[in-house]
Order: sequence, then C-alpha cells, then structure tokens
Amino acid sequence: MSLKDAMPVEKGRLSWFSPNWVLLLLSTIALGAFFGLETASVAPNRIVSGTGYLVFSALGWQGALLGMVLILALIGFSCIAECQEYRDAYKAMLVIVMALLALMPFALMVATSRLVDSDLPQARLGIGAGFWVTLFVLLLALVELRTRLALARIWSWSLLLPIGLLWWLCLSLWLEPLALMREYHSRSEQFSEAFRQHLELVGTAVGVSLMLGMGLALLMRRYPRSQKAAFAILNFLQTIPSLALFGLLLAPLAWLAANLPLAASLGISGIGWAPALVALVAYSLLPMVRNTFIALEEVSPAVIDAAYGMGMDTRQVFLQVRLPLALPVMLEGVRITTVQAIGLTTVAALIGAGGFGTFVFQGLGQAAMDMVLLGALPILLMASVADALLGAVSDFLRPGGAK
Amino acid sequence: MTVNTRAATQASRSPWQIGIPLVWLLLLWLAVTGMAQLEGFFRLFEPDVRSVIYSRVDFSLLLGRHLFVVAIAALVTITLGLASGIAVTRKKGRDFLPLVSQLASMGQTFPPVAVLALAVPVLGFGTLPIIVALMLYGLLPIVRNTLTGLQEVDVGIKEAARAMGMTSGQILRQVELPMAAPVIMAGIRTSVTINIATAALGATVGASNLGDPIIAGIVNGNTAYVVQGALLIGLLALSVDSTFEQVQRRLKADESPRNK
Amino acid sequence: MIELSHVTKRFGDEMAVDDVSFKVAKGEFCALVGTSGCGKSTTLRMINRLLEHSEGEILLDGQPIRDFDAVQLRRRIGYVIQSTGLFPHWTVARNIGLVPRLLKWPSTKVHSRVEQLMHLLGLPVGEFAHKFPHQLSGGQAQRVGVARALAADPDILLMDEPFGALDPITREKLQEELRALQSRLHKTIVFVTHDIDEALQLANHLVVMRAGRVVQQGTPLELLHHPADKFVESMLGGVERGLKQAGLTRVADHMLPLSPTLPAQSRVPSSMSLRQALSVMLRDHTERLTVVDPHDMPVGELSMRKLIREPKADQGHDREH
Repeated sequence: MSLKDAMPVEKGRLSWFSPNWVLLLLSTIALGAFFGLETASVAPNRIVSGTGYLVFSALGWQGALLGMVLILALIGFSCIAECQEYRDAYKAMLVIVMALLALMPFALMVATSRLVDSDLPQARLGIGAGFWVTLFVLLLALVELRTRLALARIWSWSLLLPIGLLWWLCLSLWLEPLALMREYHSRSEQFSEAFRQHLELVGTAVGVSLMLGMGLALLMRRYPRSQKAAFAILNFLQTIPSLALFGLLLAPLAWLAANLPLAASLGISGIGWAPALVALVAYSLLPMVRNTFIALEEVSPAVIDAAYGMGMDTRQVFLQVRLPLALPVMLEGVRITTVQAIGLTTVAALIGAGGFGTFVFQGLGQAAMDMVLLGALPILLMASVADALLGAVSDFLRPGGAK
Repeated sequence: MTVNTRAATQASRSPWQIGIPLVWLLLLWLAVTGMAQLEGFFRLFEPDVRSVIYSRVDFSLLLGRHLFVVAIAALVTITLGLASGIAVTRKKGRDFLPLVSQLASMGQTFPPVAVLALAVPVLGFGTLPIIVALMLYGLLPIVRNTLTGLQEVDVGIKEAARAMGMTSGQILRQVELPMAAPVIMAGIRTSVTINIATAALGATVGASNLGDPIIAGIVNGNTAYVVQGALLIGLLALSVDSTFEQVQRRLKADESPRNK
Repeated sequence: MIELSHVTKRFGDEMAVDDVSFKVAKGEFCALVGTSGCGKSTTLRMINRLLEHSEGEILLDGQPIRDFDAVQLRRRIGYVIQSTGLFPHWTVARNIGLVPRLLKWPSTKVHSRVEQLMHLLGLPVGEFAHKFPHQLSGGQAQRVGVARALAADPDILLMDEPFGALDPITREKLQEELRALQSRLHKTIVFVTHDIDEALQLANHLVVMRAGRVVQQGTPLELLHHPADKFVESMLGGVERGLKQAGLTRVADHMLPLSPTLPAQSRVPSSMSLRQALSVMLRDHTERLTVVDPHDMPVGELSMRKLIREPKADQGHDREH
C-alpha cells in the first residue's frame, strides 16, 4: 500500500508487485537458512559433538529441490500478496506453509537413512541450526498468515493439531536414531515421571495460589487500608530471585521436618516438593491477587448501581454480576501464573523437586545437549499449550464476545 | 507494575525521596565490603559448618560481573526494543506491527530457564548464553511498552502537530516520544529489574556472578551462602529499581502541570 | 404516593441535600431540575434507598421507607440511569427479565412479559432478544433500560438523566415515546434532568434544586410565570421564557374563529405548539395563520396582533392548582 502511494509513476509497470514485506522477509530467511545452515549433524555417541551436513548431503538433491521449490513459491506468493487480483495468495501460502511443516519430519527420516550408520547402535542424528531456523521462521509465517486471514483461534488449532499428530507419529515410530529420541528412549520412565511431577507442582501451586489469592483479594476489598501494605509485600516477594527463594526455604523446612513429626510424616523436608511448592505459591500470589483485585474493582460502577437499584441483594450482585464480569480478567491472572509457574518449576529441580528441570540441569552438568533439549522443549511446549488453552477459555467467557 | 505506578503517583513528592536510591546503594556497598564482619549473624543460620562466609570469589568481583551482564543485556535490549518499537509504528514499518506485537506477547510464555538452556547448545557454557537469554527475555517488556506508549498518543495531538507543519521526525522526537516516555520507562524498569534476578540463573551454566553463592549454598546445603547471594541481589535490585522510580517520577512531574 | 419531608443527606461534613420537601401524587410526572452537583441525583437515590437519608422522612403510600426491606423496596420501584447499567454479560432478554426473575416469577410468565415489553418499546423480539448490550446503539440500549425498569410492572419509576447521553434526535424521539408511554401506563415518575426543556416537555410538576435545597416547585406554567428568583429565571431561559411558555400551549387554545376576510396563506395544524406557530409566522413574514384540523380543513385562525393583546388569562388558571 505505502509503496504504491509513494511511487505512482511505477504503478503501471510493476502493478503485480505489491508484496507483503513480512512474509517476503520471512521466506527469504527460510531460503537462506535452508541452504546456508546445517540441516543435520551426526554423532557416534551422546558426548561427542557431531559433524554437520548441509542440505544436499542430508536430503539429497531431490529433497533439496523439493524444499527449494516450495520456499520459492512462498517468496513468489508473498510478492503478489497485496495485489487486488490475487486475493487467494494468502490461502495458497497457508497451504504451502502447512505442507512444509508436514514434510519436515519426513526430511528428518530421509536424513537419518542417508547419514546414520545402522551398524553403530549409539549413532545419532542431531537436528541442525538450518532445520531449527526454518521451523521457527515457518511458525512466524503462520502467525502472520493467521493475522492476515483473520483466522479464528479454533481454526488455527484445527490446522496445527493434525501437524502435531503427524510429528508425534513420525517421532515415535520411525525416528529412533534422532538424538532427542535416543535420549528419550534411554529414560522414558523418568520422562513420564518428570512430566507428572511438573504437572503436579504447577497444578497444586496454581490451585493453592488461586484460593489464597481470591481470599486475599476479597479481604483487601473489605479492608481497603490493607491494600498498600499487601501489595508492597507481594511486590517484594517477586523481587527475590527465584533461585534464592528456593534456597532460602531449604533451612526452615528442614528444621520443620526435624522438629515436627507431623511435618515429617507429611513428607515435608528441606529439599523436594515442599520448598518448591511454597516458593511457587509465593511467586504466584502477586499476579493472582493483582488480577483478581483489579478485575473485581474494575466492574463498571453504573452496572453495580443498576444491579442494586433493580433490587438485587449483596450476594446476588456479587455472584451474578461482579464475579462473572470479573472472570475473564481473573483468568488472565491464572494464565500468567500458570505460565510463570511452569518456568519456575524448572528451576525447582535444583532443590530436588523433580520435573523437566532435572533433565535440563543434569544435561548441563554432563554437557549432554540432547538431554538439555529433552528437558527444555517440553517446558516450552507446556507453557505454550497452557497459554493457548487458558486464553481460549478466557475468550469463551467474555460475554457475547465483548472486549 | 500498575500497582507500582499507582503507588508512585499517590506518594507525595518530597526532596528526601531522591535520597532513597543512595541509601540502597550505600547498604549494597556496605554489604559487599563488610560481609565478613557479619560472620556472627550468619553463624545463626548454620552453627555447625566450617565456613559461613562465601569466600571462593570476592563479593565485589561477583557484583561487578553481575552488573556487567545485566548492563550489556540492558544496553542491547533498550536499543533494539526502542528501535523496533518505533520502526513498526512508522508508516514504512507498519506491515510488521501485527507480527511484532504478537511476538512480544507470545514471547512472554517462554520461561527464561528454557531460553537459557536452549542458548547453551548454540553458544556453549559461560557468560555468553546468559547475556543472550537476558536479551531475549528483557526485550519483550520494552517492545510491548514502547508499542503501547506510542500507540496511546492521542491521534488528535499527532494530527494537530502535522497540521502545524512539523515533520514526522519532529513529531516523533518532540511529541510522541516525550508523551510515551513514562510508559516506555516503566517497560525498561520491569525489564532491568527482572533481569537482575534472572541473571542469577547464569550460575547454573558456568557464568560467575551473584548466583554463585546461591548455587554453592544449595549444593552444599549451606543456607548462609544462599542468604548472602540473595541479600546482594536483592539490594542491587532495590537500588536499581528505586533509581528508576525517581526517573519515572521526574518524567511524571514534567507532565503533570500540563495535564492539570 | 411519594412524600419527602425535610429530608437531609450529609456526606461527612458536606450537606448534599438540605431540608428538601416535596410530594409526588399517584400518576404524576415529577422532574427534579438543577445544575450538576445540586443534589438532585442524591435525592432520587434516597427514594429507593441506594442512599440512606440522614434526617427527615420519606414516605411511600404514607409509610416510611425505612419500614420496608431495602431490597424488596427496590424490586417494587423501577430504576433507569444515564449509562443504562445494562449487564454486559447478559442478553437483552435476560436483562429485561431481571426483576421478574428476582421476584421468582415462573419462567413462562417472565418470557411472555419480556416479549410484551420489547414490543411495547419497539424492539423486535427476533432481532434483539439475543443481542448483547455492546451490540446496541445508545438509543436501543436505553430502551432496554426502560423495559428492564418496567418489567415487574412497578407503580413508581425513578429515572436519573436517562436520555442525557443520547444525541438530540434520538433524545427527542425517546422523550416523545416516554410521554406516550406515560399517558398509557400512568406510572408515578420521578425524573432527574439538567435539561429544562426536557423537564418542561415531560413533567407536570417541577422541583428546581440548587446547592442541595429546593428553590421553587410547581407546574411548568407556574414556574414560567412567576420564577421565584434570578436563578430560576435564568434556568428557565431568561428572555426566552416567553417562547418556552408558548411551547407549552397549543394553537387550539389561542385560535380565533375564522374571519370573513381572505384566509391567510400559511396553514398550521391546531395541535401544533404556539411556539412552533410563532416560528412559522416569522418564517413566512405574516401576522396571520390559518389553523386547520387533521383533515386539513380550516377551523380558525391565529393572529399575532390578537395574541399580544391577549389578557394574561392563564394566570388565574394557574392559581386553581
């Protein structure tokens, strides 16, 4: 648009060239990464760092050609995306991006069969920078396409779900030599245990802080004088580094376990889930209380006035008007808290609370990067899924789609 | 953040408040230089262990490294964040606005530990991965607040400025940026304060900073070490945060006579 | 029906309402008029006990309102406010059915009542029942607000600047509809407004307030003829008072029999206000107008010269009230 306005002279000559600059940039980066960076690397075992291979050796000329054609098509379509005559360019690009995302696990399979020596039982295929960058850029393109096509949340989910299933299927059935999968197979039980621990800690922390936060917010509404002090304390809690808070709780809880038989029998001790949970709740309180409090306070006074004026009693006003109107903002608090707790639980692995952080820190300790990935990737995935799910719930609860 | 700013506006503006950052800085300096004198105090935490004062590396050196990492990250994030925030709100960069603003909100879901862990395979151990992780993580609040601040400037005011014959550069420098400054400043404050705490995680990937005593304390079960690390990080965070608070107050003081 | 005697409201040391007394008879339309901050809204909100009065007595059908349970009392009184106060998370139909549901009406009865009210206020059920408040225009939202207030068929309606936020055309239309509604339903209405024209148009009893006190009360014509002081006079439009007065009477009241001379060219219907008729004279540069009935048949004439010489007959009229 802006280009057309600025250069009316060239309008006639280059009428087809009205690009979506964002997608043009992204697809050019994808092309560069596809050819310029290593697609995969192969290592004989988990400690030795592997040798990298560019796309021709990893995928063969057929694979490289297919990838190139698809990405070039993407570049081509992004050049004409804003042109009036080619209304469907965005849809075509969506199809191409989806196709590329679906083909990527198969590309890994091809690379495996070409590069990994099946005689070496520990030989493994590492995913190269070129692959990661291409994947990342394609996901960004998907975000941009979603905005341009104004796709509803449910649509983008139903597009991503089959792709995710396909990836999962390929990973679990045919991609055993992938370093990540090798790492997973050697500790699949630990993995599901870590997943369970991570979920439990996050779930409990969010649940407890939700209850406490609601209670605190209600108390603060009743006793307005306490507001300033309460927020000051909660703000202070957030400035303590997470690492330190976990560490600081070791001693008091160990003392508790040593001196209170009841505490010890409940499984409370200086290390493990107890200090982790306390610290997680302490961190979660601020966003939870703040959002609950603001949500309840921000309900329009005119609506409350009308509710009383119509003859609702205090309980009815709270349950039927104030609470439902505050719910979306409160859920926003739950969303922030959950995402934050998923990250913090990772750190809690340092004090023996388990979870995916165990892999991250063990992997860092052993300089085994595949193991670090095995811990970090599920955390990213969990955080994104929690974010999207809670966002969808909050959207759903917005009355009649009102903003 | 909302609460911070609200509290800041409520508090009266008296001259002695300018001294608050100095008080915190003084306490920080005292803590760094005089930690050994507090041995009796730390003995209370751990009566039985041999050493209660972390002594592997000098505290002032740890503080210096911590500050260095945070400062480098802050410098890069402020420059990049402001530049990209301004760029995508200009006419030429407007195409990138939806993607950048969506990224700024989506990026918040990436836990800093995970970012740090993913940076290690690429960058190796040491100070570099933590700087990169801090940069990525600190960038988001700045970009988001720059976008919010610039977008909240009244369209009417911008139009009036254009009607008076100001160039777009003049409008940006003399109208938009000054009006958005408090919001942008709040973003920078959040970013830097969070990064001071997050930088401690660097100790887990071999970057030596104030996180060192904490990790050592956790590994050896020595709470006194943990307290020392936490105390110094806390004091550093409070010094920097209260300095930013003064700056923000100055910015608001500049603006309030015009508003009233 | 409603009687306030020596009612006072204090917020801390500040006197918001000071010794206010007035009566609203059954079926009467009473307007509380005054500049903003004069205590008119506070007075209104004391009647349904959203605020409790500090001193004095508020009677409803002769009974002090403190004898009633506040919540039950409010369910018997309709309440409309400027910002509508519609619940944004409820549909139009559910908003309207609020009070009947609070009163535990059976759902079929609530349903039919809601449809009846939507019909009454010109909101097609099929189109609006399932819309949410944010999908409505200002005028539509305020119609829903009025429907909600009328839902349980209360005898009393309290309205706090209900049309204050609407554009002039919508406001005039809703005023007209409210007047038509009132002539059918005969509710007892207390109406707060700062717009004197609105008050003159709608109310048959005006209470002018200033700084928490009642400055003057009476019928619109009483106020126009004998403003108590400079404040009321300026409130009533100063020199334009004459025109406002003319706005309250019909052409039919000042019509002369048809004279045998040539009838005037300009015609006005007998139902037109005198004010509009004067405007027609100015527009058409004429001293005389022919008055016609709804079938466009001449029934009389209006003469400027005669109008000016008319004795102030309606003064005696007023005193009978």
